[in-house]
Amino acid sequence: MGILENLYKMTAFQDIFNNPGYLLMLAIGAFLLYLGIRKQYEPLLLVPIAFGVILANLPGGQMGVVSADLINLEGGHTKNLLEIAHDYGIMNFLYYSLIKTGFLPPIIFMGIGALTDFGPMLRNLKLAFFGAAAQLGIFVVLISAIALGFTAKEAASLGIIGGADGPTAIYTTIKLAPHLLGPIAIAAYSYMALVPVIIPLVVRFTCTKKELLINMKEMDKKYPPNLKIKNLKAVKIAFPIVLGIVVSIFVPSSVPLLGMLLFGNLIKEIGANVARLSEAATGSILNTATIFLGLTVGATMTAQVFLDFKTIMIVVGGFLAFAISIFGGIMAVKITNLFNKKKINPLIGATGLSAVPMASRVANDIALKHDSSNHILQYCMSSNISGVIGSAVAAGVLISFLQ
Amino acid sequence: MNDMGVALELLGIGMVTVFTILALVVILGNLIIRFVNRFIPEIEKVSARAGQTVSYEISQKKMAVIVSAVNKLTKGTGRVNKIEKL
Repeated sequence: MGILENLYKMTAFQDIFNNPGYLLMLAIGAFLLYLGIRKQYEPLLLVPIAFGVILANLPGGQMGVVSADLINLEGGHTKNLLEIAHDYGIMNFLYYSLIKTGFLPPIIFMGIGALTDFGPMLRNLKLAFFGAAAQLGIFVVLISAIALGFTAKEAASLGIIGGADGPTAIYTTIKLAPHLLGPIAIAAYSYMALVPVIIPLVVRFTCTKKELLINMKEMDKKYPPNLKIKNLKAVKIAFPIVLGIVVSIFVPSSVPLLGMLLFGNLIKEIGANVARLSEAATGSILNTATIFLGLTVGATMTAQVFLDFKTIMIVVGGFLAFAISIFGGIMAVKITNLFNKKKINPLIGATGLSAVPMASRVANDIALKHDSSNHILQYCMSSNISGVIGSAVAAGVLISFLQ
Repeated sequence: MNDMGVALELLGIGMVTVFTILALVVILGNLIIRFVNRFIPEIEKVSARAGQTVSYEISQKKMAVIVSAVNKLTKGTGRVNKIEKL
């Protein structure tokens, strides 16, 4: 009998009976895995996050991230990494060394930079303004969340989901409200995966058929751009260097994200001479960072943290932030069209939030549905890429004001 | 209420900052394009680099394509030493 009792104590059954929330979390992890594997919603990140959720909710496995209160010691000191690994396991070691320090999001931004082509934006520079208008959702949801009882830091972390940029949302949340990291990361990446649903939904309620039929190439023929680029390669090399220096003077707190994005872009544009650096940034480094980011973010979603009213508010608020950002971009185009002869398709405004390049692809598909000759992808990419810069700057503003 | 004041302030400052930075992106982009158009307007002809013998002048664009193709095929281990017209 004693042996059986010891065997029972060794297993996790008692913990599961005492806290059925574990089962619910395992079901949520399995559902997220289903979305990532079967539905292919952002699988590169959703699969590690989902498996992190499962690992964190296996009782006794010591893979769930513990609250920072357990790490903090008296006198403003914290436990060192060896103590964290010894007391709370390797997942906490990874979380407190790679995530809590804010290390991984800028590393991922470097990889994104090395995958980004600023060419479409440089060819259609004026469209970059719509990347600013599409940050509206961040600040509107920030106000709404405060009205609903969130603290300013929590509301800012919730609002940044509207920037539609996963690493930016994670970085901002780490800095402002690390206890909400799990639900905010899940909401941010889930809505990014749902861009093909959310953009058409907002467009349906805000754009007329006439507006969606605006043909950008015909407009370009009618009103050709004043400036033609004679040496695109040289422009592409100079652009990240100059932009990085100037932006860092205006918004220094955006440098960790934007600086790394622009560095990644520079090594891509230099070409064959530094091809190995570019390959490392977009290959092994980006992939390794993605695995650790996904697993550790997923591991923050323990039953105690996730099953909370605030999580539901984050899910709803995140959707609103996304939708309002798309709305902001569309409205900015409509206002511009009131004053300009050269009309712009409002779908270009809808792509002003980040989510590169999926938002552009979705907008292009909508345009082609209305007119099979209206290819607007390169125009959308302009506002889409500027949206990445816009959301990083918005994050910098929030961090510098609230941290 | 105090938080709400901060939020409204952030709405104003945040949107103004984002518009300012993207306006800078547009201005800087234009300035860089004008500078490059004026001082480095054409793609330079690539002369042979150290350790490389190029038997005739080849455009930088073509050179980059060839180097990139060789890099891809040889997984970074190969080098372009000589380019000849067949």
